[in-house]
Amino acid sequence: MTQLPTPGATPAAPPPSEPLPTAAPPRPRWRETLGLLARNPTAAVSAVVLVLIVLMAVFDETLAPDGPNDQDPSRQLQPPSWSHPFGTDEFGRDILSRVVLGAATSLRVGFLSVAFALVVGTLIGLLAGYYGRWVDDTLMRLMDVLFAFPAVLLAIAIVAIRGAGPANAILAIGIVYVPIFARVTRASVLGVREEVYVRASRSVGASDWRLITRHVLPNAAPPIIVQTSISLAFAVLAEAALSFLGLGPRRPNPSWGLMLADGRGFIDQAWWYTVFPGLAIVVTVLCFNLLGDGLRDVLDPRQRTLMAGGGR
Amino acid sequence: MSVLVFSLIHLVRGDPIRLALGTRFSQETYDALRERSGLDLPLVQQYVTWAGRAVTGDLGVSFRSGDTVTSLIAERLPATLTLAVAALLVALVIALPLGMLSALHPRSFVDRLATVVSQFGISVPDFWLSIMLILVFAGTLGVLPSGGYVALTEDPLGWLQRLVLPAVATGVVSGSVITRFVRSSMLEALGSDHVRTAQAKGVPTRQVLTWHVLRNALLPLVTVTGVQLAYLLSGVVVVEIVFSWPGLGQLAYQAVRDRDFPVLQGAVLLFALVFLVINLLVDLLYSRIDPRIARR
Repeated sequence: MTQLPTPGATPAAPPPSEPLPTAAPPRPRWRETLGLLARNPTAAVSAVVLVLIVLMAVFDETLAPDGPNDQDPSRQLQPPSWSHPFGTDEFGRDILSRVVLGAATSLRVGFLSVAFALVVGTLIGLLAGYYGRWVDDTLMRLMDVLFAFPAVLLAIAIVAIRGAGPANAILAIGIVYVPIFARVTRASVLGVREEVYVRASRSVGASDWRLITRHVLPNAAPPIIVQTSISLAFAVLAEAALSFLGLGPRRPNPSWGLMLADGRGFIDQAWWYTVFPGLAIVVTVLCFNLLGDGLRDVLDPRQRTLMAGGGR
Repeated sequence: MSVLVFSLIHLVRGDPIRLALGTRFSQETYDALRERSGLDLPLVQQYVTWAGRAVTGDLGVSFRSGDTVTSLIAERLPATLTLAVAALLVALVIALPLGMLSALHPRSFVDRLATVVSQFGISVPDFWLSIMLILVFAGTLGVLPSGGYVALTEDPLGWLQRLVLPAVATGVVSGSVITRFVRSSMLEALGSDHVRTAQAKGVPTRQVLTWHVLRNALLPLVTVTGVQLAYLLSGVVVVEIVFSWPGLGQLAYQAVRDRDFPVLQGAVLLFALVFLVINLLVDLLYSRIDPRIARR
């Protein structure tokens, strides 16, 4: 209790610039999150496998037994063996090496396109959710329009217009996922905006910028993080689909989707040609999905029912 | 939305007509195609003409074949519809029992199996699954054809044989998504207060399940099934190509390859419209299933 000033004593003026103590926002505790995640065996294993896949993509040229385009006519379409565990293709190239080297392509396109969608989508969702009213209406109607286009077809159309190639594949997949991030962010921001600590901070005169960066964004982040992991899964799938259609990286660069397209022609003679690149896609996508589920359980348990199924 | 579809052709780098015609063409052909497609008019006028015609079902003329886009789409629509509906059936046949069983017996063997299967299902690229199905059923076992299409009226058995593999390939993916929804919405309904009340006052289990659990679990299920149908109609592009299924996806893909922009515009517009219509239908169905929504 504050003591009443005794008569005669100079009244204590309230400190002019010192901010009033506000309720501390419940910040996500990262160490605790990681600890919880580590206790979820599925998520932990997925995270480890993903780290291995990323390492494989980074050190691809050191790890791959052969160069990506080392041809050898004497070993065309050979089944799996000790020297070529995944077999060889129609030019005698080692499929294991090409799967390892293809990881870099898939992950690069996946990460960059999700990064694009994350930055643009989060910004749009943040503005829409925080400012509301016409900003919200304008931005979210725009997102609805974009969302009305089927994902794969929109990506194909964008690549058709801009021309085939990895850069345009990244842009196409990125644009497709912008509305999902915008929606998730907006919903999360709407929940956080009216929390006591945000209102308290606003009432002591914090600027919009400070409110957004210090209070709204950190507390709205968990669903966005979950969505990032799930979107990475779908971005890898979309990249595979685009390269399968010949709209991604060009031959002879190794890419999982492109290998499936080529292997399809030899399906009667060489099952290994399509099985192994496909398994590489499945394992990568599965791990991103499982990690996303694990993150959701830890960070955002209420969203379970809302988001099951991601963006597919 | 129509503005966005319209802009497609104008976002193309370079001259769409020149791209469509390739390298060898006469000035007359060029001028004729340009005039016929209206690309020589001012932009706003082009949009108004295009949108005005689109409303009446006239989506222009293919750069390649000279056929109207509407007739090309109409020709391909039945095949895509067939595949999408068949795939949805496969999806529901997988998802409903699996999702319900795993919700009724959480943490049981069935539940774990359902989780593994659905996780795998949403992680597998549908076109790879298609190739694997061809490998096993058309290649090794030789029991089903690897692709193609015959009309139902010509050869009912052949039609069914050719439908099975693409329908399974696309249905498994959708089924996995729906399974997760069935499970979670059933679990939510099972845990709700009114179900506990019904059980407490001694309503028979079967009645509780049909009247109190299923009816409430149905609502999110209608949404996700609608979304999946929209996805199936448009998302089967790659599967159609793998199975040489003459549907809209293949038409759109061919249009991309040929740089046949009017056809691409028409297909994209149609898919987006289908998506909107399905969403509208889902909303209407909602109020039928849940009177609370209609009253709001």
